[in-house]
Amino acid sequence: MDNIESLISKTIYKASLYLDEFRWDEWLELCDKDFYYSIQAFSPEIDKNMIYLDGTYDQMKSMTEMLPKHNTDRSPLSRHTVVYTIDVDHDKGTADSVSSLAVYQTQLDGINSHVLAGESNLFMVGKYRDKFILNNGKPKFIERITQLDTRRLDKGSHWPI
Amino acid sequence: MPARNQQQWKEVPGQLKPGEYVDSRIYSDKKIFEEELVKIWKNVWVPVCHESELDKPYDFRTVTISREPVIVVRGTDNQVRAFLNVCPHRGNMIENRPSGSFENGTPSGAPKHMTCMFHAWQFDMKGNCVHISRSKEGYQDRLDCKDVGLRRLRCEVKYGGFVWVTLNDKIEHSVEEWAQGSFDCMQKALDAEPLEVFHYHKAIIPCNYKLWHDTNSEFYHDYLHYHNRITGFNDSYFARQNKVFDNGHVNVGSFEVQYDNYEGFESREELSFPHLPANHWEMIDLFPGMNFNLRGSALRVDLMTPLGPDKVMIEYRGLGLKSDTPEERLTRQRHHNSIWGPFGRNLHEDLIAVSTQQSTMNEWADERRILHGRYEGETIHDEVGMRHFYDEWGKWMDRWPGDPELSYDEGLKKAA
Repeated sequence: MDNIESLISKTIYKASLYLDEFRWDEWLELCDKDFYYSIQAFSPEIDKNMIYLDGTYDQMKSMTEMLPKHNTDRSPLSRHTVVYTIDVDHDKGTADSVSSLAVYQTQLDGINSHVLAGESNLFMVGKYRDKFILNNGKPKFIERITQLDTRRLDKGSHWPI
Repeated sequence: MPARNQQQWKEVPGQLKPGEYVDSRIYSDKKIFEEELVKIWKNVWVPVCHESELDKPYDFRTVTISREPVIVVRGTDNQVRAFLNVCPHRGNMIENRPSGSFENGTPSGAPKHMTCMFHAWQFDMKGNCVHISRSKEGYQDRLDCKDVGLRRLRCEVKYGGFVWVTLNDKIEHSVEEWAQGSFDCMQKALDAEPLEVFHYHKAIIPCNYKLWHDTNSEFYHDYLHYHNRITGFNDSYFARQNKVFDNGHVNVGSFEVQYDNYEGFESREELSFPHLPANHWEMIDLFPGMNFNLRGSALRVDLMTPLGPDKVMIEYRGLGLKSDTPEERLTRQRHHNSIWGPFGRNLHEDLIAVSTQQSTMNEWADERRILHGRYEGETIHDEVGMRHFYDEWGKWMDRWPGDPELSYDEGLKKAA
C-alpha cells in the first residue's frame, strides 16, 4: 500500500500529465473545492513579487472552459516535473511540497508553422510550491503556486502551467 | 471577387488612395530600420521607467535607447538624473544590473558611488567623476576627474511619475510640448496622487516595432479578442473616438466596459483611478512607440525598444496608486493581469497576431501593400490613428510610407 508521500508524488505527476494534455477537468478533479492557483514571479527590475495569473477553483474552471472561445497559440507545452520535497503534517492533515519544473514548447502554429512546427524550445523554468489537504489519506491540491524563474515569456500563454 | 493574379495583387486595391496604405518594406528593410534609430529614436523623449522603480536616493535603473545603454539614478537631493551607462575610460558598461542601489559598496568600489568594476573609476550621483585609480601615477597632470564626467542626458519626470529621457541634447521640446495635449485625457487621473509600478514584464517579439504600435492604434482588431467583443461591442464602444495630435500622437476615447459580461470577471468600479469615470478606458498612443492605457483600475504602459527590422522588445508595466492597501493592490494586479499579463486573455492574442503578420513580411518576401484605409467618422474602427502615425513617420524619415523609395515630398506630389 502506498504511503502518503508516494500518493502526493503521484498526484503531482498526474497533474503534470493532465496539464500537458489539456485535460483541465481531470486536473481540477485532483484539487479541493477551496483550491487556489497562481503563477508568480519576482521582478528584480521593480523589486517586487508579481502575480501573473491567479484564481479559485471556480475561476480556473470557468477560465479553462472558455479557452476554446479564445484565439491562442496551440503549440503544446510539456512539463518536466521532479518532486524535490514533501513535508506531511499528520496532525493537521496537510502537506507541503516543492517540485522543480521545466516547461518545453513544441511549435505548432505560433508563427510560421511551415518553418517552425515541430521545433521544441525551453519555455520556462521554475518551481511548483504545492499544498495538499489529506482526506481519509487521499491528497488533494489546496494550493498551487507556480513560481517562475523565467520572466521573459514573449508571446506568453493562455494556459495554466 | 475572384482571387487575383500577380499583377492584380501588386495593384492598389479598390479605390484606395496614397496615404491609405503603406509599403510592407517599411517593416522589413534593414536600411530603413537603421535610419529609424538615427532619425527618430535618438531624437524623441522615451519614458524609460517609473520613478517608483528608484524610490530612494542611490537607487538606479538601467535601460537602453536606440542601442545606447542608459542609467537612471536618484541623487541625494532626490532628483532623478540620466547618464549614458558608459565609463569614460575604456567604454565599459558601468552598471550591469537591471536595478539596485549604490548605497552599499561593490567589490570594486566604495559605497554611495557608481563604480566601473573594470578599473574602479568612481562617479557620484550627479555624474561627476570623483576617483580615478592611480590617477597621478598614470596621467600625471594630463587628465583628472574634472575632464571625465559621465555623459549626462536630458531627463524629466512627468505624467504620473514617468522618467523621460532623450539622447538628443538639443531637443526643442519639453516632454509636455512634445506630447501636444495628448495626455489631457488622463493627466488628472495620473497626477492626482503618486503611482507605483506593480507589474513588469518584457517580451521580445519577432515583429517590427511599428506593427505593435499599429495594433495599439486601431481597435478594428477587437474581432481577435473574445473578451473585448463580449465586454465591449455595443453602441458606445462603436462611438469611441480617435483623436489625433501633432507629433504623431493619438488618443482613443473612452467608453464604459461591461466587465460583468465575461464570466469570472468583475466590475472595476470600486478601484477606478481618480477622476476616471467607473469602468472607463482611455488610451494614448505616442509616436514613435509608447502607449499609455488607463483601463478602470489599472494603468498599463508599453515601451518599445526596436532591436531589428523584425525584432522588438516590449516592456509592459502595470501601475496602481501608491496608497493602495495590500488587498486593493492584489485586486488591481488581478484586473491588470487577467487581461494584459503574460497569461492574460488579450495580450497573448495580440502578440500572436503581430508575430504572424511579420512572418509574411520578411525581407525575402515581395513587397505588398498594408491597408490603413478605413474611414468610420474617426471612431474606433477607423484607421485614422495609423494614417496619422505614418504621415509623421514619413516626415521624420523623409520617405513616403506608401513607397519608401520616394522622399516624403515626392510622395506628396504623386498623391496630389
